[in-house]
Amino acid sequence: MTNHSSEPTISRRGWLQAASCGLGSLTLTGLAPGGASAGLLSPQVAHYPAKAKRVIFLFMAGGPSQFESFDHKPALKAGGGKEGLKKGKLLAPLTEFAQHGESGMWVSDAFPHLAKQTDDLCLLNAVSAPSRAHPIAVPMMHTGEFQFVRPSLGSWVLYGLGTENQDLPGFFTIKPTRTFGGPANYGSAFLPSTYQATRLGWEGQPVKDATIGNLTPQHGLGADAARESLKLSQLMNKPLLNQTEEVRGVINSLELSDRMQSAVPQVLDLSTESQETLASYGIDQERTDDFGRQCLLARRLVESGVRFVEATSTGWDHHSNLDKFKDKAESIDKPIAALLADLKQRGLLDETLVLWTGEFGRTPETQVLEGKETIGRDHNAEGFTAWLAGGGVRSGLTHGMTDELGYKAVEGNVHLHDLHATMLHLLGLDHTKLTYRYGGRDFRLTNIHGEIVQEIVA
Amino acid sequence: MKRTSLYGLSALLLIVHAGDFVLADEPEAKELNETAAESDGTTLFERQILPVLVNQCYECHSKDSETIEGGLELDSPAGMLRGGDSGAMFEAHHADKSELLRMLRHEEGVSGMPPEEKLSEEVIAAFEEWIRLGAPDSREDTGPTAKEQRLSEAEGHWAFQPPLPVEPPTVTDTDWARDPLIDNFVLARLEEAGLAPVSDANRLTLVRRVYFDLIGLPPSPEQVNAFVSDESPDAFEKLVDHLLDSPQFGERWGRHWLDVVRYAESSGMEFNFTYPHAWPYRDYVIDSLNADKPFDDFLREQIAGDLLPNEEGESPEVIEARNIAPSLLAFGPKRHNSSGTEFQIDIADDQIDVVFKSTQAMTVSCARCHDHKFDPIPQTDYYALAGIFLSTEPRYGTIKQKYSNTPTELLPIGEDAQAMHDAAEAHEKQITETEQSLASKKEEVTKAEEAEKLAMTAKTEAKELLAAITSRLEATAAEGEVSENDTTTTDTSDADAATALDQAVAKLTEATTLVTTLKDEVTKLETSVAELKESRPPRPQYAMTVRDREQPADTKLAIRGDFRNRGEVVPRGFLSAVHVPDAASVDPTHSGRLELANWIANPDNPLTARVMVNRIWHHLFGRGIVPTVDNFGMLGKSPTHPQLLDTLALRFIEEGWSVKRMVRAIVLSRAYQLSSRIDEKNMAVDPDNRLLWRATPRRLEAEAIRDATLTVSGQLELQRPTGSTVTALGDKLVRGIPTEKIQPPSQHRSVYLPVVRDYVPELFDLFDFPSPSLVTGQRVVTNVPSQALYLRNSEFVAEQSRHAAERLLASEDVSDDAGRVALAMQWALGRLPSDAESEAALQLIQQVQQAEVPEVKEAETSDEDPRIVNAWSAWFLTLFTTAEFRYLVDLGD
Repeated sequence: MTNHSSEPTISRRGWLQAASCGLGSLTLTGLAPGGASAGLLSPQVAHYPAKAKRVIFLFMAGGPSQFESFDHKPALKAGGGKEGLKKGKLLAPLTEFAQHGESGMWVSDAFPHLAKQTDDLCLLNAVSAPSRAHPIAVPMMHTGEFQFVRPSLGSWVLYGLGTENQDLPGFFTIKPTRTFGGPANYGSAFLPSTYQATRLGWEGQPVKDATIGNLTPQHGLGADAARESLKLSQLMNKPLLNQTEEVRGVINSLELSDRMQSAVPQVLDLSTESQETLASYGIDQERTDDFGRQCLLARRLVESGVRFVEATSTGWDHHSNLDKFKDKAESIDKPIAALLADLKQRGLLDETLVLWTGEFGRTPETQVLEGKETIGRDHNAEGFTAWLAGGGVRSGLTHGMTDELGYKAVEGNVHLHDLHATMLHLLGLDHTKLTYRYGGRDFRLTNIHGEIVQEIVA
Repeated sequence: MKRTSLYGLSALLLIVHAGDFVLADEPEAKELNETAAESDGTTLFERQILPVLVNQCYECHSKDSETIEGGLELDSPAGMLRGGDSGAMFEAHHADKSELLRMLRHEEGVSGMPPEEKLSEEVIAAFEEWIRLGAPDSREDTGPTAKEQRLSEAEGHWAFQPPLPVEPPTVTDTDWARDPLIDNFVLARLEEAGLAPVSDANRLTLVRRVYFDLIGLPPSPEQVNAFVSDESPDAFEKLVDHLLDSPQFGERWGRHWLDVVRYAESSGMEFNFTYPHAWPYRDYVIDSLNADKPFDDFLREQIAGDLLPNEEGESPEVIEARNIAPSLLAFGPKRHNSSGTEFQIDIADDQIDVVFKSTQAMTVSCARCHDHKFDPIPQTDYYALAGIFLSTEPRYGTIKQKYSNTPTELLPIGEDAQAMHDAAEAHEKQITETEQSLASKKEEVTKAEEAEKLAMTAKTEAKELLAAITSRLEATAAEGEVSENDTTTTDTSDADAATALDQAVAKLTEATTLVTTLKDEVTKLETSVAELKESRPPRPQYAMTVRDREQPADTKLAIRGDFRNRGEVVPRGFLSAVHVPDAASVDPTHSGRLELANWIANPDNPLTARVMVNRIWHHLFGRGIVPTVDNFGMLGKSPTHPQLLDTLALRFIEEGWSVKRMVRAIVLSRAYQLSSRIDEKNMAVDPDNRLLWRATPRRLEAEAIRDATLTVSGQLELQRPTGSTVTALGDKLVRGIPTEKIQPPSQHRSVYLPVVRDYVPELFDLFDFPSPSLVTGQRVVTNVPSQALYLRNSEFVAEQSRHAAERLLASEDVSDDAGRVALAMQWALGRLPSDAESEAALQLIQQVQQAEVPEVKEAETSDEDPRIVNAWSAWFLTLFTTAEFRYLVDLGD
């Protein structure tokens, strides 16, 4: 549809100006094409006071099974082997469930560590999404749209709230997948490119090796010379302010690049963490090392004031190898449990919204592949499980239900647009007002959809 | 409680207080059934339908409602029949097809209306009966509906009116203008606002500005000096003509057009396939601009070049170029894993989008699902155009592979292309056939081997039988009697057994021979497959294009954009709000693309010339006369100088749609040649410089930054490369290709770097290169730290700094360090350093030269002391990071 670049007007910020006095500092002259500003990332005042200030999005690419994780289905266990409603036979869950914590939340034995943190989770057992195809569902979960390239959740949040640490980018994504939209899933589309994520590594690359481009000088001149060169460059830049304010953007970005050069390696350097912390995240333990590092990086980044961090775990598409589910779960269980505990211990959990979800869940039936039954489940977007934790959510709550076999949501349905709307709400942003004018239309993350799920808001 | 529903149409009714109106109560409902049975529809309407409309619907769906939800007006017969933004809700007499009834019944898939509470069954039954009776409506239409009113107002929008010649304005300062038209229009607006333009830019500033604007490269010190020291009155004019004649002009301005048509060499979307044969279009655009092809022809070729008749005496190259031109209808982003109608309709949507945004600055694709919300573009216009494009077959190539369902044929290009293509295809066919024979021969071998095995077994058995008989006979002969239990002799004599063995042996021999023969044949076929594969004849080059489908047809409107839910057939045509008096309508036996091309490339089309001159203006001033260069619709911005825009548009047409002449005229105007100096008084009145009282400082584009860097380092290769690096990669999923193969190091101009969707070169990505999936007439400009990191730390900039240092040290034009500092700055910034700058630079150089450097890189191409090279590369690195290097600003003399 309308996707050419017209002059963007920052309507949220315009709205802010209209809604409250004395916010003149938010004036963004020179933002439009032909203008540039480093002030785009300054911390912004939210639409209304909110508990959550930052987000950690744990994305489980492939669509983890709710039946082996968080959606306890006794009827499915009893009905295992019987004819299902669709093509296959019912597949009894391959894990055992038990209730945990004061809340009595059901969690499977694939997540022994996370099970100890149920009182911090807000479990959403009836999430739904519009498609059960990866290429549609992944961009939908990240941008609320698949037909067109749209700004990602993180870029909307950064656009709405700015960032707190001016030495670091405000939005990071760690090891994203290249497929199913790839960079579009953390891009800023028509929002200014300042709001796109800074990528650390790629899927398949050990997170140990992940870093930001061009942090290490290739000129071989040494730090002193580089600093002198920067000084001279700035000396030459300043007089140009007489001609255009845009040069301030150049000056600021040069300064920030200099700070990032030291701040980014510092924040990425896990060696300053205690052995105890490293061990709690499962770092240096074979199965948990990589995701443990991702989780610890996420904590370090949000702790440093980064607004939005996404970490990705791949390999959840269990069509025929669901017997490996527990191994997969093991790779994230300890790291995520440690992340939650660590955030809590540091007093950060209250202000950090953690989201755990795949692009969809799976069916209660056995997957039939080429006429053969396998130990696996097909995609299902009509009812699956995600959870939130931390900033502003009702902890210890299990919200929503699928039918007794788990085909679809029957109660407390949270559509992904509702999830997005609620997350923005928790961050103090009204999803109907966080808009950006592009090609003559005001766009928003939730398009024309989305209802805030009040039941899960603390 | 208000509720806005998913689609406009569904937001039918809204109740503020459900209790306000009491629905038909019991006695009335009974009466209704009786009445309906005998009464005509009008009575039914007046008694049952109208009260519901008035009480339940008008609040949101009438001319006077605050927001006319879904564009649906139920307070007039015309509005009732027309339906909302996505079309009619019912068809008289056909209650079974009625969307309205489905909504009243709150059925799945539609938004139930009224949203708060369903009407009673009786009332719904009344609606059903009323529709069955022909839906008579006794109300009178009172003037146009609000929507009709809005549309007719929109049709009066300036952009749809033909540009008319106007008298040049009168100005007070009659000496100021250089181009009487352009400059007096600009000056008149300034004088009107009480502003005065600043002084002219100095020559250093002007020469740098015009080099970057016209050819995208910085002038060399020699070129600067040549201009600065040329005292003839037409010095600037000569320079401009020289630059317009340079082959670099087309590379610079071609890239502007490539932005607009979202040129790319892969399909993008979730499965991103390479388009190895998109590049001929790139060259076509560059060549067309260099040849100053009339812009109307340029457009006509890109929309319907394949359908334009050849003229006598035309060279094969000209004809071929015309067939390459419609590539822009083929290289758009595509979801190749999709197929069938959905695939075709998405392609048509992209084609409508690119053609109408680029040439008309109209967002026609907004009307895919419903009438355009703001512009007078009904949904039927969209499907009138969709019919044209659906009757067109895009030829984008690709091969059948996983996630690519529908390959198409490409256009062979170059000398003997068709013959070469045919030979190559014939050869491929031969390979396929030989491989097939090989496969079936191998099957025969398998069968023959099985037969041989059987024959072997049979022979063994026959041999054993004979042996058994023989040994028994020998035993019998020895014992002289036959055992009673022995039955072997009853049916088989030893003679028979011997014969059987002979036969078995013969069969085996035969079988073995067959196997050997067949295996020989397999070997021969294998050899010939290998040979055929080795001896593939060279293929020609290919290009993307389109052609008309064999059976062009009108298409049906897709209700709410859902192609599975089709409405009326819409005859092919163009935009109903844009009047092009003498344009031919679509010949139904063809796609209609040629007629569309002529409708667009028409001097009477009110948009085409305006849109292009505005694009040219935008590139030369940093802002269009209409600032929203891709949107001239109701939501676009109004022109700052409407009469100037019209005058330029008319002049453009008059001067044969010559882009070069238009560029020349604008660049030679005084308005273009102003300084960037800030005047406080002007700044207070017009901070955004809308009225053009000065030259707005502009950030250079990614390509200009890279090309300038390579120019300074002396590494720029000005020769056009053949093809694209993507060509050699073949038809592949992009994500399977290593990045260094997609973007290998290159010294060519940036316009020739491969544009693979989602994988553009790092420097492009950082410096706001537009998404090649979107039509972009106006790039955004950001200043982000990742750019600074790139300029300070990247391999590319480090390397170019070293090359520049070596080049500087080898230069014979300078003999001392102060001279070198100055020359370096002339290369990079086009001016000489101030004393302070020179001193600071010398200090930096000295410091680096003396410092203990952690790693000293070996100089690659010179014998210079690496420390000295280091020192000078530090100076270049500094220059590359300055704002001045990437901005067009005033230069001190």
